Amino acid sequence: MSDDKPEADKPAAAAEAAHEHDHDHADHDHDHADHDHSHGGHAHGEATAHADGHDHGLAHTTPVWLLFGILGALLVLTVATVSVTSIDLGAQGNLVVAMIIATVKAALVCTFFMHLLWDKKFHAVLFLTSVLFLILFLAMTTNDRGEYQHLVDEYRAQQLQAK
Amino acid sequence: MTEPSTAPEAVKKVSAPPPAAIDHGHDDHGHEAHDPIHAANPHLAHHFDTPQQQFDAGKLGIWLFLLTEVLFFAGLFCAYTVYRAMHPEVFVYAHYFLDTKLGALNTCVLLISSLTAAWAVRNAQLAEKRALMLNIVITIACACTFMCVKYVEYSHKFHDGLLPGKNFQPKEQIWELKSFRDRHPEAAEYAEKLSKLDEKKAAPAAPAAAGKAEPAKVEKLERPTEEELEPLLAAGLVGPRSLDPSAHISRPRMAHVFFGIYFFMTGLHGFHVLIGIGIWIWMLVKASKNQFGANYFGPVDFTALYWHLVDLIWIYLFPLLYLIH
Amino acid sequence: MASPTTTADAAIPQTKGADDNYLTHDKGFASWAFTLDHKRIGVMYLASVLTAFALGGVFALLIRTELWSPGKTIMEHDTYNQCFTLHGAIMVFLVIIPGIPAALGNIILPLQLGAKDVAFPKLNLASYYLWIIGCLCMLGSLVTNAADTGWTFYAPYSTTTQTNVIPAAFGAFILGFSSIFTGLNFIVTIHKLRPPGMTFFRMPLFVWALYSTALIQVLATPVIGITLLMLIVERVFGLGIFDPGLGGDPVLFQHFFWFYSHPAVYIMIVPGFGVVSEIIPVFSRKRLFGYQFIAISSLAIAFLGFLVWGHHMFVSGQSVLAGTIFSAITFLIAIPTAIKIFNWVSTMYKGRIHLDTPMLYALAFLWVFTIGGLTGVFLAVMGVDIHLHDTYFVVAHFHYVMMGGAITAFLGGLHYWFPKAFGKMYNEKTGQIGALIVFVGLNLTFFPQFILGSRGMPRRYYNYLPEFQGLHQLSTIGAFTLGIGFLITAISLGRALKNGKKAPNNPWGGVTLEWTTVSPPPYYNFQTPPPVTAGPYDGYEDLVYDEAIGGYVARVTGGSAPALGK
Repeated sequence: MSDDKPEADKPAAAAEAAHEHDHDHADHDHDHADHDHSHGGHAHGEATAHADGHDHGLAHTTPVWLLFGILGALLVLTVATVSVTSIDLGAQGNLVVAMIIATVKAALVCTFFMHLLWDKKFHAVLFLTSVLFLILFLAMTTNDRGEYQHLVDEYRAQQLQAK
Repeated sequence: MTEPSTAPEAVKKVSAPPPAAIDHGHDDHGHEAHDPIHAANPHLAHHFDTPQQQFDAGKLGIWLFLLTEVLFFAGLFCAYTVYRAMHPEVFVYAHYFLDTKLGALNTCVLLISSLTAAWAVRNAQLAEKRALMLNIVITIACACTFMCVKYVEYSHKFHDGLLPGKNFQPKEQIWELKSFRDRHPEAAEYAEKLSKLDEKKAAPAAPAAAGKAEPAKVEKLERPTEEELEPLLAAGLVGPRSLDPSAHISRPRMAHVFFGIYFFMTGLHGFHVLIGIGIWIWMLVKASKNQFGANYFGPVDFTALYWHLVDLIWIYLFPLLYLIH
Repeated sequence: MASPTTTADAAIPQTKGADDNYLTHDKGFASWAFTLDHKRIGVMYLASVLTAFALGGVFALLIRTELWSPGKTIMEHDTYNQCFTLHGAIMVFLVIIPGIPAALGNIILPLQLGAKDVAFPKLNLASYYLWIIGCLCMLGSLVTNAADTGWTFYAPYSTTTQTNVIPAAFGAFILGFSSIFTGLNFIVTIHKLRPPGMTFFRMPLFVWALYSTALIQVLATPVIGITLLMLIVERVFGLGIFDPGLGGDPVLFQHFFWFYSHPAVYIMIVPGFGVVSEIIPVFSRKRLFGYQFIAISSLAIAFLGFLVWGHHMFVSGQSVLAGTIFSAITFLIAIPTAIKIFNWVSTMYKGRIHLDTPMLYALAFLWVFTIGGLTGVFLAVMGVDIHLHDTYFVVAHFHYVMMGGAITAFLGGLHYWFPKAFGKMYNEKTGQIGALIVFVGLNLTFFPQFILGSRGMPRRYYNYLPEFQGLHQLSTIGAFTLGIGFLITAISLGRALKNGKKAPNNPWGGVTLEWTTVSPPPYYNFQTPPPVTAGPYDGYEDLVYDEAIGGYVARVTGGSAPALGK
């Protein structure tokens, strides 16, 4: 949680600090999005070679070939998940396989399209936390429902007999 | 600016507000009007010190928002899970009514739009205005395609009487559907026989779902085979889980719940797609004004993240709703 | 820590005039309606929340009046159901959940962080407008056949009753988003806008409390959002998820509802813990004991709060297995809470206690919240809860923690920060009298209810057996006493706004950053964030009271200049 120290060592608003960091405008060899390197005077994007996905300014730039590669993988997985339905894997088997494939697709979207691979870890932690809470909610509720389902079934059965 | 002096009296004075200094008119932020960072970055808000800080704050903010969206849909996924666990027959029954191909098409459309959204972020970072606008337009186009396919699906359903909740009145019997007959031809025929039996039983020629069991002379049918019976059981058409167990064949009791869940989940998702379209249009306008560049591309990045989440939700909705076996 | 005497240095305003501050900086309705200044938004929230509190209080007095005698006293039974529904819904959704974070937190949080504003000022204003819209929706239900389901909207009654549930549910839905956006804003503000040198473990505990609360707001509130939406859709389209007549499961509704509403009670109380943590060290002139424990315990409570929702459902039809799990984890929550209480008391030990109004409220909190919290543990025992569920024991428990806890802390914080926010001092005597009457009133109202409940008086009942009348009447007298206490407090603060003595920068001798700026602050708070070199509760010994200004200033030793920071 205390992942990011505030710009603690440099009084953030002081104009002086900006001038001290003026040296690194020419090259963009940054490897972390959270280092405060690009100060003012930087209003226009450089159209230099960024196809290799180095950081540019405030954050990492995804290379285009990677984007298409991920899309390809996603489309293949979509085809796979549809085709699998024609194979009978038992009552729960198909569901499990479908969920696994969906999760792989989701992981690809999150990691690459949504940039989590190159972002602060805290964002990934946040997202996983929300998924964890979702699972907690689903698990407890379904479990509880399962536990008292027999009461519902018995009642139903009684009602049918009474007819 | 009153400097703290060494005189002890200064201690007492200091707590009173100092006399007014330079009046900077309306721009009294306490920033000197010549703060270079803000001057060079017209899109930098006054309460942030650097573009990096503004971008990082915005990124954290959008991720928190996505977190809330996940938990928002969680309720619906939970309702789905509970009902599918307790009433699997309803889900088997209902899936024959859904068109897997249209669902798959929508999936691919959204995946492509995710690509163009992510690409647009790159364009914004590199201030590639034309490419950025093109990618945004394609994203919007894909989103609109998605909504059109959705509209087609919904209108089919309304037409077939597959309305949510208590208005659920299917016009066709499931064994009359092509998707059922193709998969389970024997069961479809057997179901026909059963339903004819029910028609004879009921006084006016009402379908089996009306289920008024008047015990008339019941033809005895031969024992059904595995292929004939099993799909009907799985779909809750016969047996204690059907709407009217005293009839020979009728739809499952809770069939309407599936369609309620279906319309709610896809409807809510579609609503999010519509909002996404609106925001992308706004981004298009901003892009056309050449606002984005290396120091300011946050809005495109954050919109794309929202869009990816919409895609993610569909990635799960698709198998859960359309690929039920 | 920037020493308070350097107020002006840390925040030299280049202002329009010597007295320019955020209240006077811009004039006119539009300057308030479209403001992006967190302090103005906080003030608007404060006014709105207090108004809603008064409205909810009117319903409370109506309820208590009706319960003066068995049978009809002043209204019919259906109206009574509507009264307690609205009382609950207004108090929970419009007052206590937004309460301290939106009203006090909005004003104070950026000041305590030395920041110019929250991270997303426009989102902040949007939160406020969502509150207004939610309020109007609820009022819409109020004036047109108000909902009578209880604030918990349990299905199937809520899905079938003919009263106007939808506006109330939709109002709560909108208010949920207001809450989410506030929480989101605070989390990003705390992560990104801290001043140089303020690491997480140098933040004031009010900030820790708001942080923990914000995490809950962001994680839990969406679930009530979808639940209320599902409720509305079920009423309109007959979805069939909750109503057993349509094949639904009413226990599922309770799971959905309480998954949010239990963490919601921690949204209500954790900011109160933060306020108390601010007040006690200052008025004991002593460093807070166990800072790190209190900070971590806020997070622990936030986390554990998500794992216990089923303790509201022991008798609902929930399985015994689930009930056992929820019961056991509920016991655990008592631990971090108790740690806080012990640490506060330890802070006071050997301190120099000043019994000013904020401290009176904080002390009241310690007493009243302990009672409320412990009775919660009683209710966590499944066997006991079978008897006490849906009785007045539960009502007493939650009023002790919500009224005695959250509201008391709110009033304490309001008095503590009133001079800072408005630049005026209130009359101390009237403040103390108000606090005392509120304390007496709330104990008189709710303690008899513990007894009523354990003797079997059910909650939400319009009619009751004559043997309960004595205790009910005691409770009603208490309620009116409470009302008088609030009235005195309101009048006291209102008069202070008009004619109060001008407040110094640091009337109480606090050492957190908000006391380093003028009272009221200039609209941009600080020109440069003051550097932070020490913890938030260090340095009371460096301050000395100055009679002339009625506030604290730095102790001057040997004529040397007071330093900026330490």
